[in-house]
Amino acid sequence: METSSPVAITGLGAVCGAGLTVEAIWNAIQSGKSAIAPITQWDASRWPRRQAAEVTGVSNATLVPDRKYHKFLSRTDLFGLYAADAALQQSGLIAYRDRMDAASAPRFNDRSGVFVGSGGCVYQNSYDFFPALTAASGDLRAFGRHIESCVNPMWLLTRLPNNVLCYTGIRHSFKGTNACITNQCVGGALAIAEAAAAIRSCEADRAVATGHDAPIEPESLWYYHQAGLLSQDLLRPFDCSRTGTIFGEGAASLVLENEPDARGRQARVHGELLGSGCSTEATGIVAVRPDGDGLSRAIKLALADANLPPDRVGVVVAHGNGTVASDASEAMAIRRVFGKNPPPVTAFKWAVGHTIAASGALDVVLALTALKQGVVPGIATLECLDPQLAPLPVSREPQSPRSDIALVLNRGFGGMNVALVVRAPGGSTST
Amino acid sequence: MNARRRVAITGIGMVTPVGCNAPTTWASLLAGRSGVGPIRQFDASGFPVRIGAEVKAVPSEATLCDPRLLKFASRSHRFALAAAGEALADAGIRPLADNSHRWGLAVGAGMLGVTFSEFQAVHAFCVPDGEFNPDGLLNPGYPADPVAFCRSQTNAGLGLLARQFGITGYATSVHTACASGGQALGTALKVIRRGLADFMLAGGYDSMLHPIGLSAFCLLGALSTDNDTPEQASRPFDATRNGFVLGEGAGFLVLEEWQAARARGARIYAELAGDGNSLSSYRITDSHPSGDGPIQAMQQALADAQASVESADYVNAHGTSTLMNDRSECAALRAVMGGHIGKVAVSSTKSCMGHLISAAGAVEAGICALAIRDSIAPVNANLVQTDPDCDLNIVRGQSRPMRIRVAMSNSFGFGGSNSCLVFRQPDGAGEP
Repeated sequence: METSSPVAITGLGAVCGAGLTVEAIWNAIQSGKSAIAPITQWDASRWPRRQAAEVTGVSNATLVPDRKYHKFLSRTDLFGLYAADAALQQSGLIAYRDRMDAASAPRFNDRSGVFVGSGGCVYQNSYDFFPALTAASGDLRAFGRHIESCVNPMWLLTRLPNNVLCYTGIRHSFKGTNACITNQCVGGALAIAEAAAAIRSCEADRAVATGHDAPIEPESLWYYHQAGLLSQDLLRPFDCSRTGTIFGEGAASLVLENEPDARGRQARVHGELLGSGCSTEATGIVAVRPDGDGLSRAIKLALADANLPPDRVGVVVAHGNGTVASDASEAMAIRRVFGKNPPPVTAFKWAVGHTIAASGALDVVLALTALKQGVVPGIATLECLDPQLAPLPVSREPQSPRSDIALVLNRGFGGMNVALVVRAPGGSTST
Repeated sequence: MNARRRVAITGIGMVTPVGCNAPTTWASLLAGRSGVGPIRQFDASGFPVRIGAEVKAVPSEATLCDPRLLKFASRSHRFALAAAGEALADAGIRPLADNSHRWGLAVGAGMLGVTFSEFQAVHAFCVPDGEFNPDGLLNPGYPADPVAFCRSQTNAGLGLLARQFGITGYATSVHTACASGGQALGTALKVIRRGLADFMLAGGYDSMLHPIGLSAFCLLGALSTDNDTPEQASRPFDATRNGFVLGEGAGFLVLEEWQAARARGARIYAELAGDGNSLSSYRITDSHPSGDGPIQAMQQALADAQASVESADYVNAHGTSTLMNDRSECAALRAVMGGHIGKVAVSSTKSCMGHLISAAGAVEAGICALAIRDSIAPVNANLVQTDPDCDLNIVRGQSRPMRIRVAMSNSFGFGGSNSCLVFRQPDGAGEP
């Protein structure tokens, strides 16, 4: 298969603070509604930063009905499994496979891949060991003697970064090529890119790609605040009074298939993955280059991979994380690539928060929806575009995409930059 | 003619429990010297398991990296910086300003980025009377160190490596437990084949030999409890095996597009010829006893390398010394090798250096490359009484001089990811 072949997208799934379905999240965004609100997971009323876009009012049983999973999976894993289940359900692939004769199903399963961009609580995961430290009064020797009576013997398995990979495979009998990407923010975007690449290279015929994260925890909130990365109230991409980002949580998932297979089983095709690009700025762990060089290189790689010039892009879904430095360098990168006439630009984190490892996957799902609806939602928190970033075609009001192609941008720690190019036919009124 | 890009291994670097660099590690493994002993880096006397495979000579700070980066590097990051630096020096090539975007990184990273002292500090401020109260973090005395924040990020190692060596192309960090290192190398192979990079610095690093990491594996009952006989504790395929030994370290390879490597006169250890990647989708901790899952990974890797089963001369097994893995791995090997099973030499170098978790697959890939270069299969130490279910052509007693045309390295992880890498001896003409 040629490197520039499109890969069909036959299923979508998502969950985040704005809703439990792609449709619900899209409707919230279109009506200018943000899911950012005071944190409820712990009493943060005395905290200098106390906002997040939490998934609220959803029990673990709603996410994954089978209760046995609740014992050995954490919330981030349940988000990931839920989104993958929804995408696979929509794709019709499991029902299709279950109609196959017994001889064909094993090969189907071996040719079905799973790719995950994984994230979770970096610090809170180890708190399960606090009771042992308390019982030991802080003494290390005594700590060792207390672990067996204080900590779940399966602790490690409940905290594995690759739980969503493992259980997506088990639940759906997908046994093919796979990856669990622990590349902080860009994990979900890379999962999609690598899933598509595997299909193009004929390592798999289909794959489910998921990004999931539940980063809202006290220590992370505290560290990010100390680093000056968090806003106190709103997340304002590209705005002159932006002061930082705000955490969200959730997951998003896509089912990707080679086009002949999708056509052959008459699958509903929601869109296509046309290309991807990935680069690092080599700036260390948290710094970004002011000139946006890494991002502009990732965009050019993605467009080249899609075999498209910049003027074919109909809308840019920016990373827009609301921090001073990242938004500024992102605007520079967009200007460098698109010159004087960029397509409409929008961003979604004002509504759903920054879902870290899920963010790229969630933005791709929403970009496809925007293309299908023929609408570029406005950035509801935009009051005044930072004049240093102008001109940049962002707006509070909805805009129209210029074509059926979207460029989705995703950035993360490690100087990481990923760009994805997707296409979806417009004119549909249903998600 | 097959126009697919081929990949050469031109540099190897390692920091392991049996050597602070690749040559020392290799010499130790050939001699069957164990790196397992009582844990010394913290007081493990209260733990059910008190032995591990520790890195004895932690790399000297002066040689590791830009001094401004050092404080951001945890113990496992330091292993990575040292091993990656050694691999680049060994390859005789480095990213330059004009080609840094054609260099990429793929790493298998360990999972716990918080030090025990940071964990203790949170406990001291937030758990004064047994109940966790997050407001303890707001106490002005709580040391929220921004350096600790950076160091604990999941991709901190990736970020440090990219910055230290000036790599600006494709970069990814993966974690599938024990399969991480193998899958990182498989990803690197694919990135070069896809034309996204011409050079990859690829490897794995891990150190779970700290109170929480050790606890985690103790609680699972996965570790050998042979505290009084540490050097024999890791005995893959032996009938009396009773669990693995937790190790630490890092392994890195420099991978280059084949034609360019030959054109510059690089010394090529071996071709990284094939990658096979499957999900067992059975249980989180182990594969089906039939070997289903690992079987597909091995078959796909051989097919990807266009290598016949009969050409496989040596397998560096996952061989953790657990009851379940060793048995199902041997079943898988029998299923894959068929009539050739009696001829292919098998050994697990975990017998000497323990299980390096996220680093294992990367270090063991380097070992396969060295085995090909030196035409010798490293010994599977501590094999006294072979389990009848594991009665393969295991390299026992001492390392075995033998020609190795094709070698395979297996890494099977918790969570069901199975990685198999295939290596091929470079011939003089360099033709496929």
